[in-house]
Amino acid sequence: MTIETTVVGSYPKPPAEGTTFRLRKTLHALERGDATPDDLEDARNELVREVIAEQEAAGVDIVSDGQARWDDLVTPFARNMAGFEIGGLLRWFDNNVYYRRPICTGALEWRGPSSVEAFSYAHSVASRPVKAIIPGPVTFAHLSVDEHYKDHEKFVLALASVLAQEAFELEAAGATIIQFDEPALLGAPEDLDLARRALEVVVADLGSAETVVATYFGDAKRLGTELFRLPVNGFHLDLVAGPENLELIREFPSDRRLQAGILDARNTRLEDEGVLAGQTDRLTEAVGDNLRLAPSCGLEFLPREKARAKLELLGRISGRVGA
Amino acid sequence: MTIDLDGPGLWTTSVGSLPKPDYITKARSRFARGEIDRDELLQLERQATREWVEFQDSIGTDVIVDGEQYRGDMVAFFAEELPGLEIGGLVRSYGNRYYRKPIATSEVVRDKPITVEWWEYAQSLTEKPVKGMLTGPYTICDWSFNEHYDSRRDFVLDLAKVIRDEALDLERAGARFIQIDEPAASTRMDELDLVIEAMQVVTEPLTAHTITHICYGDFHNAYPKMLDIPVDQIDLEFANSDFSLLETFGDDAFTKYIGLGVVDVHTHALEQVDEIADGIRRSLKYLSPDKVFVDPDCGLKTRTVDEAKAKLINVKKAVDVVRAEL
Repeated sequence: MTIETTVVGSYPKPPAEGTTFRLRKTLHALERGDATPDDLEDARNELVREVIAEQEAAGVDIVSDGQARWDDLVTPFARNMAGFEIGGLLRWFDNNVYYRRPICTGALEWRGPSSVEAFSYAHSVASRPVKAIIPGPVTFAHLSVDEHYKDHEKFVLALASVLAQEAFELEAAGATIIQFDEPALLGAPEDLDLARRALEVVVADLGSAETVVATYFGDAKRLGTELFRLPVNGFHLDLVAGPENLELIREFPSDRRLQAGILDARNTRLEDEGVLAGQTDRLTEAVGDNLRLAPSCGLEFLPREKARAKLELLGRISGRVGA
Repeated sequence: MTIDLDGPGLWTTSVGSLPKPDYITKARSRFARGEIDRDELLQLERQATREWVEFQDSIGTDVIVDGEQYRGDMVAFFAEELPGLEIGGLVRSYGNRYYRKPIATSEVVRDKPITVEWWEYAQSLTEKPVKGMLTGPYTICDWSFNEHYDSRRDFVLDLAKVIRDEALDLERAGARFIQIDEPAASTRMDELDLVIEAMQVVTEPLTAHTITHICYGDFHNAYPKMLDIPVDQIDLEFANSDFSLLETFGDDAFTKYIGLGVVDVHTHALEQVDEIADGIRRSLKYLSPDKVFVDPDCGLKTRTVDEAKAKLINVKKAVDVVRAEL
């Protein structure tokens, strides 16, 4: 039997050792005035084609564009809506990775899609389904500063209505799976009910697209099985940073899909295939056909070759490649 | 130990790194391509070090740094010299910035001094004290991949012994100020005890004035527990949060020497003397001047040489303004 596989989102931008790092070179050249925005677009498109091809070659069933055009999860959206300014650098959760914190200084308004063009390009060059990925409203709020609403609930719900339009446009552009990243929810169990109401807003106008809430960098113990009442079709749980998620999976609802993050996307050590196969068997016993395998989080924390090796291992575990 | 510096306090220093002049950046890439040899690169690195030490001397800096002209990044520099750590592939830290993240592949040990020759060289150029600059064990662990150790604690404590031995050699060479940077220390509150345990290993045998620099973290949760880190001084960023950390000191007094970051290292914009002086004055409501070292928020290596010099000059001018009011 084969088990479906996917990625959580990001993918390393640097190429394999010894190859020209075109994206970085082009960005430097653009700064010096030696390249044009079109050159940058070409470099980004080339990277997107590469990362999709690598995922497909490794046997990933549902791919992503590797977030190759983004510096982080939130600023591409914050830059494109009315009401946000972009602030200073902050640590990205517990990683040695930084993002610029959006500062909400006015009423939030959708000014057109932020991620649809990027999705459409990936969709056009992939031969497998491409997952559309956007930040969830609670995480977006936690990663930002609210100087306008001065009320967490209002801020989250305002974000939700903007993200709803984004999700709607993504589905209209052909997205069949839309993932909402909510890593900050793990540390904010008091926001779970707010997350439910906000996500109801986000998914309200969607048709048949499958929806997923992704949590990573820890366990959902403090949320408990209440997490699974969020109005989406599936959940990503990080089983590496959050081994205690295995407890929750025992009570995983039979009508939802489990995207299980079983490979460590933040360490280069390659997992033992036998151990992973055993873990996969136990997950199958718990959730049956509703299992989808994935790395623990986005793969951008790894060098390119290591990310690729992890995906190839995932492919072998799923039984699809090399069986 | 007593810090043995002149004046009423508000001593000026830098956090560590200073920008590399163009000729170093070019020489480093030529060296990487095999176009120049190590000796040629070394001569240029010594020249740049001398220029930075002379600049700091010329503006009256109290505690001098060597500017780390010979370091790539603060973890890789040590990883390259330590058996057990290998240099890994490129990973992104933010925007278009990437670094080579080391990988622990076997037990990490130290087989020779790493920074002592550079410290001796810099100290030979000035009468002022030059800081010994080390990266802390927790940060080296946190910013490396681990393919060898069963636990992070095992990895961190091996690194602590390595950094302790390096610090002891710096002290034997004459260093009176030794900074052990732990920018990662505020990353995970549940590991602050490990940061403290490792720093205890490093500083326990030292008599020098010990400093640690911490940045980008969940400061409000880490304080005041952070004061348990066994060093004489903690260096913190204030400018990039408009000095909002100070309010925390109202509830729990800051009990150590402090390194007060008063200019933002991530902006090209030059802070004016008045603005910096005002920040220092606000800080003195919570801190005693004879416990305060004034510096930029963080290493200045991401700025241009001219931007960094302008910032350091304005920091010194602002300190002079406030010192005159004491």
